[in-house]
Formats: sequence, structure tokens, C-alpha cells
Amino acid sequence: MQKILVWDWPVRLGHWLMVGGFILAWLTSESETFRLVHAFAGGVVVAVALFRLPWGFIGSRYARFVDFVRGPTSVVDYLRSLLRLEPDHHTGHNPAGGWAIVLLLALGIATGLVGWAMYNELGGEWLEELHEGLAATMLTVVFVHVAGVISGSLLHGENLVRAMVTGHKQGSPEQAIPSARPLAAIFLLVWIAAASWWLAS
Amino acid sequence: MRAIPLVMLLASLACHAETPQQIRQTYVAEAAAQQPGFAPSAKRGETLFRQRFTNNDKMPACTSCHTDNPMHAGQHAVTGKAIKPLAVAANPERLSDPAKVEKWFGRNCKEVVGRACSPAEKADFLSYLSEVR
Repeated sequence: MQKILVWDWPVRLGHWLMVGGFILAWLTSESETFRLVHAFAGGVVVAVALFRLPWGFIGSRYARFVDFVRGPTSVVDYLRSLLRLEPDHHTGHNPAGGWAIVLLLALGIATGLVGWAMYNELGGEWLEELHEGLAATMLTVVFVHVAGVISGSLLHGENLVRAMVTGHKQGSPEQAIPSARPLAAIFLLVWIAAASWWLAS
Repeated sequence: MRAIPLVMLLASLACHAETPQQIRQTYVAEAAAQQPGFAPSAKRGETLFRQRFTNNDKMPACTSCHTDNPMHAGQHAVTGKAIKPLAVAANPERLSDPAKVEKWFGRNCKEVVGRACSPAEKADFLSYLSEVR
């Protein structure tokens, strides 16, 4: 086992931009002065999530949905291993993390699109209730995800937060991804700028 | 007595439709409890509507977004999005949902005035919006 590259640039950049967008959107949710910031931040979350869907098919090995979307039994097995304080090691996402990704992508897109509809008055008052409900659900999943990351990190003795920054995790050399895909990351940034600007305008 | 707040909660959850008079009456009753003999005034409400505050450069007054005339459609000072008229005479949907009224008083008093509005101010303001033609 040694340090190998596991997360490509679009995965890492997308992850932290989604974190930033979600926090900013949450902090500005009640404000009219920062309404534009709120719409832009929500737009960033939607843009990242929409990029992540095709990237889940054409991205590097551990970015692909087939690598981490597992059935409920795998999730239960993994959570049991966590409870035994001996979590199974996964080079890519563990099964619980995989479900966090799927849920957060779906909730990010749904919350953002409902917010966009509200912003453009494409529906009634119920959209507002739905927007708030989806955002609160997303915050709940975020808390569960963060709790899972912290407990997983402590039990594995592997800092998963740092891994999402550097892209490196423990593994054998043949498991490493060959490229961090920097060009796709540049495309991601351009796409986010364009899509969030459009969504907020 | 414990049933009353529950009824109010259920009413608000159901987006209970009320008339502008009913909504105003809630604030009048609150204001009268603090200030015996309180009577709402559309004139004072208009003064509040036109008053400029120093709390927020982007939106110093109600008129920053809602224009000088509540009968007219407004435009959000930051986003540029259209806002339907505040006056009940121009927009029959106005002042029909107590939760919505309270939400916007809460948000806009905090950001524009720089503090929460008193029940008396809210009652005056609703009188103005109900009566202005």
C-alpha cells in the first residue's frame, strides 16, 4: 500500500465548489440584499451536479457510477463494518459515500431547479415550500455524509478530507488512475461560470 | 388554552386564506395590547412606505423596489426581477396569506429598516396598502 492518485481534478474541484456553493446559498437564503449571490451560489451547485452526471460515465475509474453505486446490501455491510469499528477499505468511494453522492447530486439539481423556477415566477407558493424542504433534506444528507467521512477517516486512519483535496489515497500502484484530467477541470470551470451566470440572470 | 396555538399552526400550514382586514386586525389587536386605544392609520403607513433609512445602501426604502406608487409593479433593486403591485386595489392576491405577510415584514423590516417592525407599524402599513387607489 502506498499513496496513489484516486480522485481526478474534476471530482475534487466539483466537490469543493459544490460545498462552497451550498454553504453560500444556505447563508444567503433569507436575504434580499444578497438574493443575486444566493441565485449564483445555487447555480454553481446545479452546474457542478449537471457536469457530474456525464462525468460519472466518462470520468476516470473512481469517478464512474459503476465504480461506487452499490445495492442496499453492500451499504448495510459497509455500515456494519463501521459499527464493528473495522470498516472495509475501498480505494474509491465506499458504498455509503456512493449513496451520499447520488442523493446530493439529485437533491442539488432538484433544489436548484425549483429555486430557479421560483426566481422566474414559474409556479405558485408551493414551489417555495418545496425549495425549502429539498434544501433542508440536502443539509441533512450533508451532515450524515460529513459524519460518515469523519468516522471513516478516524477508523481507517486515512484523512478522507485531505484525499478529496490532494486526490491521493492508500492503494497499490496498479489501482492508481493514470491522469488527473486537468483539461476536463478547465472545461468544468468554464461550464460553471456560464451555467451559474445564466441561471442567476 | 393549549389548543389555540395548535389551531394557529394548522391554519398557517394550510396556507389559510384571509382577507386583508382579517390580517390587519391581528396586528391591530397586538398593537392595542401594547398601546391602549391604538387605531391604524393609512397616512402613517404611507409615511413608513416613503421613509428613507440608512441601514441598506442598495435598498434604503420600500420605494427602492416597489416604486413610489404601490399601484405600480416594482422591480427588485438587486436582481431586477419584476415584483407585483403591493396595493390590494392593483393586485387582489396581496394580503391574502398571513404567513406570507409576516414573512415579508420579517425580511424587509430587518434588511431595509434595520430592525423588526412593531405591530402598530404593520397595522398602519396594511391600512395604507388596503386603501391606496
